[in-house]
Amino acid sequence: MGNYFSSMFDRLWGANKELRILILGLDGAGKTTILYRLQIGEVVTTKPTIGFNVETLSYKNLKLNVWDLGGQTSIRPYWRCYYADTAAVIFVVDSTDKDRMNTASQELHLMLQEEELQDAALLVFANKQDQPGALSASEVSKELNLVELKDRSWSIVASSAIKGEGITEGLDWLIDVIKDEQL
Amino acid sequence: MSTKTYKKFENAGSGDLPDKMTVYQDCMNTFNESPVNPKRCRVLISRLLRLLSNGVAFPENEATALFFSISKLFQHQNDALRQAVYLAIKELSGMSEDVLMATSSIMKDVQNGSDLVKPNAIRALTYVLDESTAFSAERLLKSAVVSKHPSISSAALCTSYNLLPISEVTIKRFANEAQEGISDLKQFPSIPYDEHSLLVGEFYPNSTYMAQYHAIGLIYQLKKNDKMAILKLASQLANSNTLKNQLAKVQVVKLIDDLLARDPQLYRQFEEILLSWLTNKHEAVQIEVAKVISTFSLRNPRLVSPERFSYIVTTLQSLLAVPRVSTRFAVLRILNKIAMVSPEKIAVCNAELETLINDSNRNISTYAITILLKTGNASNIASLISRITRFIHDVSDDFKIIIIDAIRTLSLNFPQEWKSIVKFLIDVLKNSEGGLKFKNTVVEAIIDIVSFIPESKDMILESLCDFIEDCEFNEILVRILHLLGKEGPYTSRPSLYVRHIYNRVVLENSIIRSAAVVALAKFALTKNDPTLKESIVSLLNRIANDQDDEVRDRATIALRLIEFSEDDSTTVATELIEPKYFYDLPSLEAKLNNYLNTNDDSFKTPFDASSVRRFTEDEVKAIELKRKQEQALTGTTEGTSEPGAKKAKSESTTDNKGFAGPSVGEDEQELLNTKYAEKLLAIDQFKEYGKIINSSKPVSLTESEAEFVVNGIKHIFKDNIVFQFNITNTLPNVALDNVSVTCTQEDPEASQLEELFTISIDRLLPTDTGSCYVSFQKNDELVIEGFLNNLLFTTKDVDPNTNEPYEGEEGFQDEYEIDSLYISAGDYVTGSFIGNFDAAFDELPAEEIAVFNIQENLSLQEVIDKLVINSNCLPLNNTQFAPNDSNSHTLKLFGKSVLSGSKVALLIKMIRSSKGIALKVQGKGEDATLCSDLVNGLM
Ligand SMILES: Nc1nc2c(ncn2[C@@H]2O[C@H](COP(=O)(O)OP(=O)(O)OP(=O)(O)O)[C@@H](O)[C@H]2O)c(=O)[nH]1
Ligand SMILES: [Mg+2]
Repeated sequence: MGNYFSSMFDRLWGANKELRILILGLDGAGKTTILYRLQIGEVVTTKPTIGFNVETLSYKNLKLNVWDLGGQTSIRPYWRCYYADTAAVIFVVDSTDKDRMNTASQELHLMLQEEELQDAALLVFANKQDQPGALSASEVSKELNLVELKDRSWSIVASSAIKGEGITEGLDWLIDVIKDEQL
Repeated sequence: MSTKTYKKFENAGSGDLPDKMTVYQDCMNTFNESPVNPKRCRVLISRLLRLLSNGVAFPENEATALFFSISKLFQHQNDALRQAVYLAIKELSGMSEDVLMATSSIMKDVQNGSDLVKPNAIRALTYVLDESTAFSAERLLKSAVVSKHPSISSAALCTSYNLLPISEVTIKRFANEAQEGISDLKQFPSIPYDEHSLLVGEFYPNSTYMAQYHAIGLIYQLKKNDKMAILKLASQLANSNTLKNQLAKVQVVKLIDDLLARDPQLYRQFEEILLSWLTNKHEAVQIEVAKVISTFSLRNPRLVSPERFSYIVTTLQSLLAVPRVSTRFAVLRILNKIAMVSPEKIAVCNAELETLINDSNRNISTYAITILLKTGNASNIASLISRITRFIHDVSDDFKIIIIDAIRTLSLNFPQEWKSIVKFLIDVLKNSEGGLKFKNTVVEAIIDIVSFIPESKDMILESLCDFIEDCEFNEILVRILHLLGKEGPYTSRPSLYVRHIYNRVVLENSIIRSAAVVALAKFALTKNDPTLKESIVSLLNRIANDQDDEVRDRATIALRLIEFSEDDSTTVATELIEPKYFYDLPSLEAKLNNYLNTNDDSFKTPFDASSVRRFTEDEVKAIELKRKQEQALTGTTEGTSEPGAKKAKSESTTDNKGFAGPSVGEDEQELLNTKYAEKLLAIDQFKEYGKIINSSKPVSLTESEAEFVVNGIKHIFKDNIVFQFNITNTLPNVALDNVSVTCTQEDPEASQLEELFTISIDRLLPTDTGSCYVSFQKNDELVIEGFLNNLLFTTKDVDPNTNEPYEGEEGFQDEYEIDSLYISAGDYVTGSFIGNFDAAFDELPAEEIAVFNIQENLSLQEVIDKLVINSNCLPLNNTQFAPNDSNSHTLKLFGKSVLSGSKVALLIKMIRSSKGIALKVQGKGEDATLCSDLVNGLM
C-alpha cells in the first residue's frame, strides 16, 4: 500500500522521468570538474574530454541525466547530436579566460538558435571565481550578451568548482525553473 | 511488431534479413528514449549487427546518426547492453569517422568497467586512438596486459598488436610484460559457488589460454627483425611444456617456418619436435606442421629425407577422412601445392582423392579434381577427363574456371595428350552452360594449346569455326576471329576459314563485322595465293559499302593495304597486320606517362618509341610460357589469394614464399629491370652508351643478414658494360658516406675490359638502399671475365634526433669484401621459345659438347635451377622439373644471343650417382663462339 502511494506521489512530481541536462562550454572551462563535483561531491583530476561523460544523479527527488560534452574545437560540431530532449543547458565559462569570451559568446548563441533547444532553460556558470583576475558574473554576462536572450529562462551564477561554491545555488535555481515550466 | 515476426528475424539460418529501414527507424527511436530500455536496445543492436555482417551498408549520414544514438546508450550501466554497444561501435567504426566521440567513455570503461566490459572497451581503443593519442593509453594498456584475467590480458595484447603500425614506440615500452603473457597461464577468476559455478570448471575449461597466442603474435611483430631473438623464442617454446593453446602452437610452427626461410640449416634443430607434433591432438597443429615441412622440403629437397616426407603425406592422407570440412579443405590445399611440383609424391592419396570427387562440398570436390589432374599421368588422363566431363556440367562457373585452369596446365605438361584435352575443351565450350568469364577461360586455354602445340592447329580451328556459328558472346567471337586471322593462313585449307569468317560478316553485328574484316585481310596479305586474294578483295569491296562506318573504314584500309602489298618494296601492310615486334607494355606506359608529364613544348617533339623495349613474337611467347610456368608453381591461377587484412596487419609468418624455382617472380623482375634501366639511362654519363642490350638478374654478393646487403646487376651495352651495385645499409645508427665499389679483374693481363669511371653514392642513412655504378669499355663482342669486389665507404654516427650524422663528424674510412661477380656467356643470351625443340636442335650447325662432374651434394632440381639461371635460356617441354623418383633427367634449354639474335639450344643429360651428379651438355648454335662459351661456362 505504502509503495503504491509513494509511486503515485512520485509520478505526480515527475520523479520517474529523467531530466536530460547538458553541460557545454569551451575546453578547460571546468565542465567535467563540475559534473563530478555534483555527482560525488569531490574534485577529481580531469583530462580533456574527447567525447563525453554521462552520469545519472539524484537531486532533490529528481533523476538527472547529465551529459558533459568535450569543449575542444574539434568536438564542438558534435554537440548538436546530443541536443534532443534536453531540459536544460549548463554553460560553463572560464571567467579568467578573457581572450576567449568572444568565442564563448558565439558558441553559446549559435547553440541557442537550435530548434531542439528552444524550450531548454539556461544556466551559466561564471567559473573559476577563486582565481585572481576572474571577471565577475555581471561582467561575464555582459561579455556573453545574455540580456539579448528572448523567451528563455536564464540565470548566471558565479562559481568555483574547485571550492564547491555557487554550484548548488545554480542547480537549485535550474531545478525550480524546470519544475515550474516543464513538469 | 508481433512475437512471430521477431522470431523470424532472430532465426539466423532462415536467410530472411530484417528490413533495413525498419531496423534503422527502430534503432533511432529506441536508442534516443529516456530512460533506456536495455533489453530492447540489445535486441535491436543484434538485429543491426546481423544486417551489417550480411554486408548491408548504410549511407554515411545514416551510419553517423546510428552511431550517435548508440553512443547515448553509454548512459546506462548495464554490462550486457554495454557489450552490445561495443560490438556496434566496432562495426560502425569502418563507416563513420565520428567514433572519436566515444573516446572518453571507452577510456572510462577501460579504467573502471567491470571484468565483463573491460575487454570490449580495451579492444575498442583500436578504433579511436591515433598517432597523437596512442601514448596516452600506454599506462592503461600495460596494466591490462599484466591483468590476471585472461580476457583482459588478451584484449590488451590484441589492441597493442593492432596499434603497432600507429605507434610502435609506445608498445615497445611494455614488451617485457607482453613476453610474460606467453608463460603466465592465466585462469578465469572463480565465481562464487552458488551463482554460476557450474559454468566454469565443470563444463568449460578454466581458460582457453588464448592470451598465449596473442602474446606470441605481438612479440613476434616486435622482434621479427632480430633472427636470434626469434630463434631463442621458438626453441624455448618448442621445447617447453608451456603451450596450452592450439593456436599458440600453430603460431610457434609458423615462427619456425619463418626461421627456416631465413636459414634452412636450422631444420635439423627443429625436425624432431616438428615431427612429434604431427600426432598432436589438434588437427590445426598437424596441418600446420605438414604444411611447413612439405613446403620446406620442396625448396630444400636434400634436407628432408624421402621417408620423412612420406610420413607427412601419410598424415595428410589420414586427415582427408576426418569429418571436419575445414580440415579436409586445408589438407587439399597442401596436397595441391605439393602436386604442382612433385605430383608423384602424393600419388598414394589418389584413392582418397577420387572418393572426394563426390564430396557434397563443392570446394572440396573441385579441389580434389584439380589435384588429380596434376597427379595424373599419361595413362589415366583420358579416364580422368571423362570423369570430369560428367562432373563439370553441374558445378558453378567459379568451379568450372578452376577446373579449366587445371586442364590448361595439364595441356602444357602433357602436350602429347592434346587430342583428348582439346576434345574435352571444345565439348565444354559448345555444350556447357556458363557465363562469359567461364567461356572466355575455355577459349584462352584453347588459344594456349594452338600456340604451344602446333599439331593441334587444324583440329582446333575447325572446331572453333563450328562454334562461332552459334556463339552469344561478342568478346569471344572477336577473339576467335582474331585467332583465325592469325593462324588460318598457315593451315592446309585457308579458304575454309575465309568462308566461315565471311559468314560472320553477313550475319553479325558491327563489332564482329569489324573484327571479321581484319581477319579476312590477313588471309589476303599473308597467304601468297592469287585466287584467294582475288576473292577476298571482291568480298572486301562488297563490305566497303557496309552501313557501319567502322566496318567500312576497316574494309577500305584493308583494300589499300592489299594494293600496297603488291608492290614488294613496302612492308607497311605486313608490319601493321602482322607486327614482328611487340612493345613491352609496362615500359611503354611508363615512357608515355613520362612524355606527357615532362612535355614543355606543346607536344612539338614527337614521342620517341625507339627507346621502348620491343619483343619479337618468339620472345613474347617465351615470356608467356615462363609466366605460365610460374603460375603453375605459385598457384595464383587457382585463386588462392589470402584474404586481405585491415590496417595492413601483416600476418606474422606468411606462407607467400611459394616454391622458389629459378623463374619465380619473373614478372616483378621484369618490372624492376625496367625501373633500373630507366634510372641508369637518366644518368648523363651513360646517355651516349645507347640502348641496354641485356640486364642480368640481381646477383647476391653478400649474405642476406650482413651489415651491408649488396647485389650486383650486369648491364650490357654495345660497346660498354656497366655494373650496378645495390647496397642496403642495415646498421642501425651509422650513415655511410661516399659509398663505392672497386672492381679488380681476376686476370688483369688478359682483360679485355677497360675501367672508365665509378659513380658513388653520397650518403646511405640507416635502412636506405642506393645504387653505385662502375663502367667499362669493351672491345670484343663477347667478353667473359670475373671481378673481385670491395665495398669502400666512410662511416659516421647518426644523431637519433635528426637522423643525420652529428655535425663535424669526420668518420672512419673502411672497406668490406663482397663476393665476385662474373660476366658469363649467359649474360649475352635471353630465353626464347621454339615450338619443336628437337627439330631445331638438329638443324643448328655449330656444336659443342662438355662434361661436368658435380661433387657437391646437390639434388637434380637444384642443378637444373642453377643451369637455367646460368644459361639464361628458357626451359622447354616442361623439362625444368626433375622427377623425384628418378636419378636421371634431360633438360632442354633454348635461347638467343642478345647481340646478334643467333639461336642456341642446349640438351643437358644428367645422372645422379653416389659420387655426385654427372652432366653431359650438348650445345648447338648458329654462332660457334657463343655456343662453346655458353656450354663451357655453364657450371
Ligand atoms: N582554479 C580553478 N580551476 C578549475 C576550476 N574548475 C576547473 N578547474 C580546472 O580547470 C582545468 C580544466 O577542467 P575540466 O573540468 O577538465 O575542463 P572541461 O571543461 O571539462 O574541459 P574539456 O573537457 O576539454 O572541454 C582542470 O585543471 C581543473 O582542475 C575552478 O573553479 N577553479
Ligand atoms: Mg571535460
